[in-house]
Amino acid sequence: MDVTLGLLPDSPAGDDGGGVPSGGSTTVKSILTKEDNNKNNMVMCSEVSSSYPVGDQNLGDLELGLGLSIGGGGGGGLKGKVVAGGGGWSQYARILTAKDFKQNSCSSSSCSVSIPNSATDSVSPTNGNSVVGWPPVSKAHRMPSLANENKSPTGNRISVTEQTKSKNRTVVINDYSNEKARISDKKYRSVKVNMDGSLIGRKVDLNAHTSYEMLAQTLEEMFFRRRSSTEAAKSSRLLDGTSEFVLTYEDKDGDCMLVGDVPWQMFLSSVKRLRIMKNSESNELAPRFQESHERRRTDVV
Amino acid sequence: MTYSFPEEVLEHVFSFLTSQNDRNAASLVCRTWYEMERWCRKRIFVGNCYAVNPRVLIRRFPEVKAVELKGKPHFADFNLVPEGWGGFVYPWIVEFARVYPWLEEIRLKRMVVTDECLEIVSKAFRNFKVLILSSCEGFSTDGLAAVAANCRNLRVLDLRECEVEELSGHWLSHFPDSFTSLESLNIACLSLEVSFSALERLVSRSPNLKTLRLNRTVPLEKISKLLQRAPQLADFGTGAYSAEIRPDVYSSLQEAFSGCKKLKSLSGFWDVVPAYLPAVFSVCSQLTYLNLSYATTQSPDLIKVISQCHNLQRLVVLDYIEDMGLDTVAVTCKDLRELVVFPSDPFVADANVLLTEEGLVSVSQGCSKLQSVLYFCRQMSNSALISISKNRPNLTCFRLCILEPRAPDYLTFEPLDVGFGSIVENCKELTRLSMSGLLTDRVFEYIGKHAKKLDMLSVAFAGDSDLGLHHVLSGCESLRKLEIRDCPFGDKALLANASKLLTMRSLWMSSCFVSFGACKLLGQKMPGLNVEVIDERENLNLLPENAPVEKVYIYRTVSGQRLDMPDFVRIMGKDKNGVYNLSLCDKGL
Repeated sequence: MDVTLGLLPDSPAGDDGGGVPSGGSTTVKSILTKEDNNKNNMVMCSEVSSSYPVGDQNLGDLELGLGLSIGGGGGGGLKGKVVAGGGGWSQYARILTAKDFKQNSCSSSSCSVSIPNSATDSVSPTNGNSVVGWPPVSKAHRMPSLANENKSPTGNRISVTEQTKSKNRTVVINDYSNEKARISDKKYRSVKVNMDGSLIGRKVDLNAHTSYEMLAQTLEEMFFRRRSSTEAAKSSRLLDGTSEFVLTYEDKDGDCMLVGDVPWQMFLSSVKRLRIMKNSESNELAPRFQESHERRRTDVV
Repeated sequence: MTYSFPEEVLEHVFSFLTSQNDRNAASLVCRTWYEMERWCRKRIFVGNCYAVNPRVLIRRFPEVKAVELKGKPHFADFNLVPEGWGGFVYPWIVEFARVYPWLEEIRLKRMVVTDECLEIVSKAFRNFKVLILSSCEGFSTDGLAAVAANCRNLRVLDLRECEVEELSGHWLSHFPDSFTSLESLNIACLSLEVSFSALERLVSRSPNLKTLRLNRTVPLEKISKLLQRAPQLADFGTGAYSAEIRPDVYSSLQEAFSGCKKLKSLSGFWDVVPAYLPAVFSVCSQLTYLNLSYATTQSPDLIKVISQCHNLQRLVVLDYIEDMGLDTVAVTCKDLRELVVFPSDPFVADANVLLTEEGLVSVSQGCSKLQSVLYFCRQMSNSALISISKNRPNLTCFRLCILEPRAPDYLTFEPLDVGFGSIVENCKELTRLSMSGLLTDRVFEYIGKHAKKLDMLSVAFAGDSDLGLHHVLSGCESLRKLEIRDCPFGDKALLANASKLLTMRSLWMSSCFVSFGACKLLGQKMPGLNVEVIDERENLNLLPENAPVEKVYIYRTVSGQRLDMPDFVRIMGKDKNGVYNLSLCDKGL
């Protein structure tokens, strides 16, 4: 008999093992807490619900069990009772808040769900913010005129197992275009980004961006999750001073500078890490840039 | 009741079993057959280099002549796998060098190959013949020089879409004058110039040369010289196909091509100058493979070439071909098996070319042998997909990429569920499917119900809930590779179908809703799986267990934990104490 991992829904009648034929194995404590359910349901299509009993089931009732099942197959302990939605998603509070899950009423013609965790709702590459790895065209088939889209996240990592001497090398990109590549020679250049008040740092690939605007939009999307098609058209709030945060960077001399004052290429060559700083802290910035920053703020009416 | 069947007879019988699956099946019959088979297996294929380790392989198969290994997951092609993830071939090469001195062939895909690896290969295997590196990286032209200098019996050197650190073009000159065994050379992915005279001399002294794919730097004017020296070529890739328009250059080119009576495959064509295209007309009717995917020229020029390719079986082209050009394909290329249309300008939202779903429908109608499609376009409809499925129920590979994520049927604005559903329902032999556009859980229901022979499925920006994933994992009996990005699939379907994962090679999920806790649980409960969480964020320790991971890559393995992981890869649940193997993230701060 196969031992499979199955999701065992608690049945109200209380028979042990739920839908598992020969239950009685150890059950593992549920990783889904019994939070109050469901103000925000995941989207369900009405056409689908006919085959499966879907409803506002409390996911907190689901237990993870090691169930014995007869025969193979991936169904495991799940005997036709799949909970397709329901509440309890709100416990994913830290990264995705309950507000991130839009409540959609499902029409028969279209169902769509907003996925806050993914890059964009719509690819609007003309404003410079594309989804990583989309469209799925490998490097060899990216055409010459699109040198700026060569987002290969490779770097200078060195294999651990090999006994070769470590080589810190830059790799030549196949430069199909006749012009020189506008981006630095390294294919993937990630810098750390920290935001004041947030413990989770991120990394962003600078070579995947060609302008401050693009970079700021990526960061806004990473940290503020304010990405929507209407916002796309506006210029970045981080850059124009209307946000309560300001985008700064540490350059190779260790100074803290405001992002946006020097040409993009110059910025790329000197930036070491990024910091999204609260406006109230911005007096730490190098003085000569403070003025332009102040000027910018007063320009905004 | 015992019987004795002479070993020599068994061995002879086994020599007719070429497929690895057949040999695996034979080895399970009885101990005698197992022993017999393992001693005479010459060719090994490892689809995931971390599913097994070199020692296990060597212990079982002592007499191997050819090895094929694959490393990184497919989505590495689209920059979804961070650099340093793994796929290092070095430990394998070291073991092979120790145990298989008579190894002849190495084929690697998406692996990290260093110069040291190439040096070992060039010196450890005296009869080394075939080196094919596909989408590999980590080596430089120094490594190539070592191969050129030392592999006396080399027949094939094929660098397919590799990333090579190009220190100089001089490496080619390291092939000694005594070296005459070359049959196939593919350097199309290199960008530095190689010495043309060295190349010409090499071609001249290689009477068995059948495949020659040059890189972009070889000028058009010099190609005729090479073709004259190698009229026996079957597969040729030009360099940059542009030059000043000169009648003498044109006529010698045309003459050179017409001398290649055996030419069946043509590729290259960077920077194409249309005026030079007619130089290849004399070979068009011989061609079975034509790759114009670097030819940035408009439809009429492409049509002039393609309309003469009556025997074409595989066509790779840019969307410059447009619907009109595909109509020509449908009428001309009656033997077509495979069509690939790449996007010329994928990052522009508005269509820059007149290529729509119509082109594909047209080809599906006209080309009765069409089996494999990779098609990038900007609009699609359910009715077109239904037509395609009804025209071509013999499709085995259908990969459709609508450039805008979640684009609906452009006529009805509905999801494309019904269209793709029709594909899986009518194309009963479908083994590979990639979907795009607006898709709900319903399409997965269709797939789970009908796609019984589906081996590989790629999904992006699709589905509504775990139900979608559950349909696929529970319904697709033959599924071995599943790769998912940006879909609202989470823990439930994954955990409910955990045992299915043992029947598959691998599952990739990125930007979905799979939590740390679920990964840990899966890793703990399923010792036959490596559950790799790939996450580059800092301070992961501070995230709760129900927070979603960035990427998870799950594969079956008999090799256990791998030891070459970078800090952003954690194999979950394998620690004895049940605490998952989360490395300390604050060391970088």
